[in-house]
Amino acid sequence: MVNIYQSSIDYLASSPTIIQLSWGLSGIFTFTIFGLALYLKYLRGRLRNKERIQQECQKKYEADLITYLYSGNDEEEITPEQQQIIRSFIKYSESSLQRKLVLTTLLKLKNEISGEMSDAIQKLYYQTGLINYAATKLKSKKWDVIAKGIKELAQFEIKEMHDEIILQINHPKKEVRREIQMYLVKLFHFEGLDFLNVITTQLSEWEQIQLLEILQNFDNQKIPDITNWLESSNNSVTLFALKLAKIYNLFEVKDVVITLLNHPETTVRLAAINVLTHMGDPETVEILKNDYQQRDIEEQIEFLKMMEIMAVTADSGFIMQLTEHTNFEIRVSAMKILKRLDIDEANKFKITATDSEIPDQNKLIKAS
Amino acid sequence: MSQSKKILIAEDNSILSLLLKFKLEKEGYQLYMATNGKEAIEIIEEFSPEMILTDVMMPFVSGLEVISHTRNKLELKTPIIVFSSAGQEEMVLKAFNLGATDFMSKPFSPNELSIRIKRLLQ
Repeated sequence: MVNIYQSSIDYLASSPTIIQLSWGLSGIFTFTIFGLALYLKYLRGRLRNKERIQQECQKKYEADLITYLYSGNDEEEITPEQQQIIRSFIKYSESSLQRKLVLTTLLKLKNEISGEMSDAIQKLYYQTGLINYAATKLKSKKWDVIAKGIKELAQFEIKEMHDEIILQINHPKKEVRREIQMYLVKLFHFEGLDFLNVITTQLSEWEQIQLLEILQNFDNQKIPDITNWLESSNNSVTLFALKLAKIYNLFEVKDVVITLLNHPETTVRLAAINVLTHMGDPETVEILKNDYQQRDIEEQIEFLKMMEIMAVTADSGFIMQLTEHTNFEIRVSAMKILKRLDIDEANKFKITATDSEIPDQNKLIKAS
Repeated sequence: MSQSKKILIAEDNSILSLLLKFKLEKEGYQLYMATNGKEAIEIIEEFSPEMILTDVMMPFVSGLEVISHTRNKLELKTPIIVFSSAGQEEMVLKAFNLGATDFMSKPFSPNELSIRIKRLLQ
């Protein structure tokens, strides 16, 4: 053994520097890899242990929650058994990890059930003081903590925090703004859209879609007056209000939508034409026909889409001029409109055919 | 008579299945629990429950496969109530095509579920 060791030393001592360096590096790497493997083993064991503890805790909290829900009776507001569980939950909530687990447990059930049980979970959220932790999050300097707090309050349907939350509607972080919008619409339905009066930042297309998606889930579809939003200086609010006008067929705001045909922003003008097409307003056709040449090419195309649905025979002269237009889309649209008008003409021809024309047709058949 | 009837709950949400177990046991039913479709099929084959409550989306084997197995392979006429979440309307249609008896959209009321079970087991 000593001989092997001695001969290795001798070999290294007599080797060129590059070989010595290679051996040295190999040794360092071997030790590093070995050390890292040991650390990973420790880390894996720790994580598994943590996961096991979390699973055990969660199982316990689930059992506690079910006991809480079923241990109530009509005589007492809170039974001693429920009181005991509330005390336990308050104690668990002192640790942030356990509080997170309690919240997960409550939400895991609240999202799946409705009615009395769901209300009881919300009541437990108040009783355990978890609401106070969420309220504290709203005052945090970190945007992600604020967003999480608002999300939690929305999930537990806590309406009382409205005034505090609405103050942050123009928060510089879009994630916070999105959570606030979701909170307001989810809890206050169409009334929650009042934030549109004060929002100064842009509502993204995705945010608008999400809001509309939530609004469609409500039974009460009583929509407030959207005139202010249509006239908003925030273009994204105007565009969102136009979407509302279209989806909910708000014919009462037709005149306001017509005024948007002269809005400085092209996207708003285009959306207004689209909404008026949906409303099938003949007045718009005349307005747009009169100042057709002054409008942008996109508006001209959008107007022709409207004409594809609403054009009448009297418009054929105007449309004929467009068949020679330099823009391909306009030419195609014009042809489509003419085709549609021609079909109407053909139908008319068949209906008004006189008897005198019939012998001519017979002759034609005989000749063939 | 309905008090001793066997019901299978196939649901991967542990707390929801615990809640339903607690409620239905209180009403006198005998409960079998499965956390995925594979377990559900094993229980159906072994214990032949008189009612099956299954979630549509489950790990390993879905609720649709459970329905299909019950109706087509085992050829059982056991009433099956399907739980679905928002956005799973197509799944519900598929479930009915496969032979589901009824469905409940989440979030649902456990009391309403209990009434439906009673009606179907009459």
